[in-house]
Amino acid sequence: MSFLAQTMRQVLRQVPSRTAALAGGMRSLSISPAFLQQNKPATESVDISAISKDQQKECSNICERINQQVAKSEQGRLFAVVHLCGKQFKITPGDIILVEGYWPPTIGDEISLDKVLLAGARDFTLVGRPILEPGLVSVKATVVEKTLTHTKTHFRKKRRKQYMRINFQRSPNTMIRINSIELARPVDGNSEAEVEPSKRLF
Amino acid sequence: MVFLNLALMVRARGPDEFWRKRRIFKLAAHYRSRTRNVYSFAIRSVHRALAYATKGRKLKKLDMAQLWTTRVEAGCQQYGMGLETFKDGLARSDILLNKKMLSDLAIWEPRSFEALVNISRERAAVEGLPDIKRRSAFNQVYGLRNLKLD
Repeated sequence: MSFLAQTMRQVLRQVPSRTAALAGGMRSLSISPAFLQQNKPATESVDISAISKDQQKECSNICERINQQVAKSEQGRLFAVVHLCGKQFKITPGDIILVEGYWPPTIGDEISLDKVLLAGARDFTLVGRPILEPGLVSVKATVVEKTLTHTKTHFRKKRRKQYMRINFQRSPNTMIRINSIELARPVDGNSEAEVEPSKRLF
Repeated sequence: MVFLNLALMVRARGPDEFWRKRRIFKLAAHYRSRTRNVYSFAIRSVHRALAYATKGRKLKKLDMAQLWTTRVEAGCQQYGMGLETFKDGLARSDILLNKKMLSDLAIWEPRSFEALVNISRERAAVEGLPDIKRRSAFNQVYGLRNLKLD
């Protein structure tokens, strides 16, 4: 490897203008993925404070418009993508969602779903990275029904091998009614969790 | 049948012939032709059907995953973006929506999906993923280190 580097250096000394071409040639031999090898443009010296101010202005402008719309309650019905029991559900007020498998809450429990990955309305969408900050969107839900699934027959058979097994299984199901999805406080650009995070995250 | 000793008990075939057959015939009631009426045919098809149903429950999950992938891919292609780049761009921006949600958004919330595609494309351009032809505006104007998404 050192031998190769030495040769490279010699070649480069002779033809300084072909650096890029040679580097390109070496790149094709490399096993590391292409996106790691791209020539990133050099960072130019720009006034960072001006940019950030510009971005801040744009950001606050958008937040302002969202807040205005919410204040006039013109946003319409909100939808949200929540993470619940290892699955993601796209929900809107009035929906019933089905949680499969064992899940402790019982009938009549009012719960709030805190892992909101995405919330949106007609004119805006809030995207969480990966979840929205706690307390921004409040999703309230009620446990409506707890039942068992229909009987599933688990049947295995091997031909000509005298092997046959049959089992029956039913697993618990929970139905949850989504009561409301609301923006709890005005949207602002800075992501500070003012509300103390709840102890349970559903 | 009276089980007087162990040997007879082992040889006994369970419930009465009528009830044993009736269980099978009830499952075969909606079959066509002689598989409905002839026990030797009925039991064969019932066993096959139950085995298929058992396997099908697993296949259904795989099929749905495939369907979601297809839908998300179609959704990306509307905006001229490949599926892998889209997913990679989302993952690098810490957006952890799964395939099911992305396909749902692509169908029912097209404007949200377009926003996600834009986020992902910008991220892919900034990180220089190979599939993106267009250079990032951030890269050209400000440089990578000035990109502040947080």
